[in-house]
Amino acid sequence: MTSGKQPEAPLWRQAFDAAEKRVTPHAENLVRTPGFATGVALLRRAQNAAKDTARGVSARAWHLVNLPAGTDLARLRAQIGALDREVRRLTVQLETERRARAAAETTPEEPDADGTQPAGGPRPRPARRGAQRPPRA
Amino acid sequence: MERNALRARNGIKLVAGVDRPGVGLTPKDVVWERGRTQLWHYRSDRVRYSPPLLIVFSLVSRSYILDLTPGNSFIEQLLDAGFDVYMVDWGEPDERDAQNRLEDYVDDYVPAAVERVREISGAEEVNLFGYCFGGDLSLLYAAHHPDAPLRSLTVLATPVDFTQMGPMADVFRGGLEVDDVLDENGNVPPRVVVQGFKTLTPTAEVTRYVTLWERLWSDEYVSAYQAMTGWSDDHIPFPGAAARETVQMLVRDNGMVTDRLAVGGDRVHLSDIRLPFLTVRADRDHIVPPDATAPLIDLVGSEDKHELRLNAGHMGLVVGRTAARTTVPEIIGFLRTRSEESAPARAAGQEG
Repeated sequence: MTSGKQPEAPLWRQAFDAAEKRVTPHAENLVRTPGFATGVALLRRAQNAAKDTARGVSARAWHLVNLPAGTDLARLRAQIGALDREVRRLTVQLETERRARAAAETTPEEPDADGTQPAGGPRPRPARRGAQRPPRA
Repeated sequence: MERNALRARNGIKLVAGVDRPGVGLTPKDVVWERGRTQLWHYRSDRVRYSPPLLIVFSLVSRSYILDLTPGNSFIEQLLDAGFDVYMVDWGEPDERDAQNRLEDYVDDYVPAAVERVREISGAEEVNLFGYCFGGDLSLLYAAHHPDAPLRSLTVLATPVDFTQMGPMADVFRGGLEVDDVLDENGNVPPRVVVQGFKTLTPTAEVTRYVTLWERLWSDEYVSAYQAMTGWSDDHIPFPGAAARETVQMLVRDNGMVTDRLAVGGDRVHLSDIRLPFLTVRADRDHIVPPDATAPLIDLVGSEDKHELRLNAGHMGLVVGRTAARTTVPEIIGFLRTRSEESAPARAAGQEG
């Protein structure tokens, strides 16, 4: 990364490289301490708590005049997003089914075309409807 | 004096954002898309090998790193070598993708892309190639679908031991929740992802600017700087539900190493991967440290498995001289021995 080993490096660059060489291990050790991870988490939570408080006040103000607040819109967007995902997954799964059917029609003599599976072999995985969970509340 | 004039000119160019090098320019066609996800087919009239190669890109960065600039493009080299190349690009997730889980990618999008590639190429199988987190998706796909029509699997800079991922993973084991970093769309915003990567090398940002000042007079350096740093600062949102799952399963449970993986409710084991397999690691990788990729070779069940270790950084695996000299020829060599050479039936990328 650094060019300190090059003979033609200017003096200021050599000085920077020397300083960087001393500082970098300490900085890298610092960000790998448990204290750093805890500090980041606490800082982020404090920021979120402040934001949530401001949002709560603003939401109450909008609701007083019977208007939706940003949090209501966010909830709606999340629901639309979840619906969009369901439709996308269903479309992809339908496409896959259609392709599989078309392929089966062009090769009717395929050994497991009747739906039976070889005993020891892996079975094709159907679309997983059970996996399409509703969004987190 | 002359260098100072060049510095001033290039400095103005950088600040004004003009004269940026074009990235991702290799001609391609969109041959399938769903939501923000697209499947690209790179045009080539030099296809000599079958089956085709399908690249699954990472969920958090832009795919043009694999096709950076003409003459410095991983994709270009693959095409020159005679491969028929496709890539799954996840686009830029928005609020509609916030509920996407890993199973959406592993059970829906990747299989759909594989099927589309087979349909277009007429090949029975594909060679699958996963880059960075795209490698994790490819591993989960191959493990969850042992019957998938794959000839081989290659993964590059793919983390499996998330205890070795440094501060970016440590913060989530130290009490930070994914919900704490989500934006109003329900996704992990790109600035959090970029900040996470920058924390891995806390002094690199300063060094970067110092080196830029030193070499600002060089048009060649400035052009490479714009392309490379443009990419490293240009991330995409990480869908919230997939991020929650990643943190729980891969970071906290360290599921790849501890064999505690689940996709769509099914248990998944990397040992079920029995394909010809190649993993490529970089010894100077600061984003995915080599210790995070090291266990992978022992985790897959393949008999025909290989590990390539290179003295390169994360980006150096696919761009620059090391890539052109070592990584790409090795990958091409691996794929060639798992492909059939044939006369080109038709030029790739004529689907319209």
